[in-house]
Amino acid sequence: MAAPSPHPDGIPGSRLSGPWPVGEYASALRDRLRGFTRVQVFGELFGLKVGRAKVWFELRDRWGALPCSMWRKDWDALGLHTLGDGAVVVAAGGCDFYPGSRASSPSFSFAVSKLRVAGEGDLLAQVERLRRALADEGLFEPQKRLARPSLPRTIGVVSGEGGKARDDVLAGLRRRGWAGRIVWAFAPVQDRRAAPAITRALQDLAACEEVEVIVVARGGGSLADLFAFCDETLCRTVALLRVPVISSVGHHTDRTLIDDVAAVACSTPTHAAEAAVPVDCAAARAQLRGLAARLERRSRLAIVERARVLARLARAPADHVERHRTRLHQHARELRATARRRLETAGRHTSTTALVLERKARAASGAEQVQHARNLERLALALAAHEPQRALERGYALVEDPSGEPVTSAAAAREHAELTLRLHDGRVSVRPRP
Amino acid sequence: MSESATGTYETACTRIEEVIRRLDSGEAGLRETLELCQEGKRLVEFCAGELDAVAHGLEELRLDEMVSRLETGSRPGATAQAA
Repeated sequence: MAAPSPHPDGIPGSRLSGPWPVGEYASALRDRLRGFTRVQVFGELFGLKVGRAKVWFELRDRWGALPCSMWRKDWDALGLHTLGDGAVVVAAGGCDFYPGSRASSPSFSFAVSKLRVAGEGDLLAQVERLRRALADEGLFEPQKRLARPSLPRTIGVVSGEGGKARDDVLAGLRRRGWAGRIVWAFAPVQDRRAAPAITRALQDLAACEEVEVIVVARGGGSLADLFAFCDETLCRTVALLRVPVISSVGHHTDRTLIDDVAAVACSTPTHAAEAAVPVDCAAARAQLRGLAARLERRSRLAIVERARVLARLARAPADHVERHRTRLHQHARELRATARRRLETAGRHTSTTALVLERKARAASGAEQVQHARNLERLALALAAHEPQRALERGYALVEDPSGEPVTSAAAAREHAELTLRLHDGRVSVRPRP
Repeated sequence: MSESATGTYETACTRIEEVIRRLDSGEAGLRETLELCQEGKRLVEFCAGELDAVAHGLEELRLDEMVSRLETGSRPGATAQAA
């Protein structure tokens, strides 16, 4: 350690007191500055630097500037890490002076104990600027073009670990009757660590092939509380994820930038869960049972109706033959009846005719018999006149060949060696001479 | 959600409705009717499978558990079913 420097003499002619050791003066200055009245100041924030224990920035306006410092834990509690240059803030605190040392530089700062954004209008203006920039780059559309499964098996959820949003998501999924797999990616949702942690969680979830949809859920809060969800890096990451993201940040009146870039923005975590599973599983099961029954019924009907038609067609030829058979039997019966009627009519007619004939015969029988007897007698006489025996009795002879056939010419007679002469009282054999 | 020849759950449901409408119209011939019925039954089975897949009971995993399972090569579904 270096030996203390000897106390030097003052400047000749100077009427000022001293010289004093600089450290002693610096400490006195610190004490004096700390004694200043503590006040609130406002101005635009510039040059934010975040250290391990403290953060530093400047507050400026058109008339001047003030270096400011704040303990890191107090700054983190504000969750205002997204504040950019130009944001107007109100800082409460007082003057402070670090006297420095041989090895470190002194510094003056306005030690801020409390800070708030001067007006949400400023924050909203920042958000609007970023919103326009993202919209101009077309980053609101990619997520909305992604196909969202109606029945995902695995859902990723980004939320605060102890928040109510987690319970609301589970309630929404239960309401859907969904009981698949949830992958929780817990992350801070408010302080300055929130946006990077949420971004990383989203990237990790999207890297899991099984995760089909991601819900980002956070309950209500002030715009400053929700500011992490307006982080540019986070929003750009969401816009380009392969997995659809459903956001539910804050209340329905809040509109963070993640709502714009996400596939769907919901007003509550419960609604976000329902949007992640659009199908009401219980109703879908009932509907499916109905569809299956209709399908079964229609299938059975289609076959039964066709079988009925086939059966009708198969019966048709037999029916046709049967109809013809019936008609034929009818015709046969009619024919028999007609024939019977005709026979009876003819019989009656014949009987009548016979009766008439009988009567006529009876009337004509006397004269006709006499005439017939005469005719018969005349015919008998004519026949007797032509009888050959009568010729033989008159002296004629009949020449017969050996077979008994009559020989009617001399030439025929010469052909036979022996002939028979038939006389009225017997036969005589003769031999013709040549 | 599994994507197969039957598509997604929603496309399968839409197709079932179309099949039933076609069958209800009575315009389909016997062969088409039988084919539609077969297709419809296949789609119903697919949808029932999809619904069953999200009815086994809620399984909650932390992201780090999921990642470690993936890194060790065991699929979460297989582990859950084994458990």
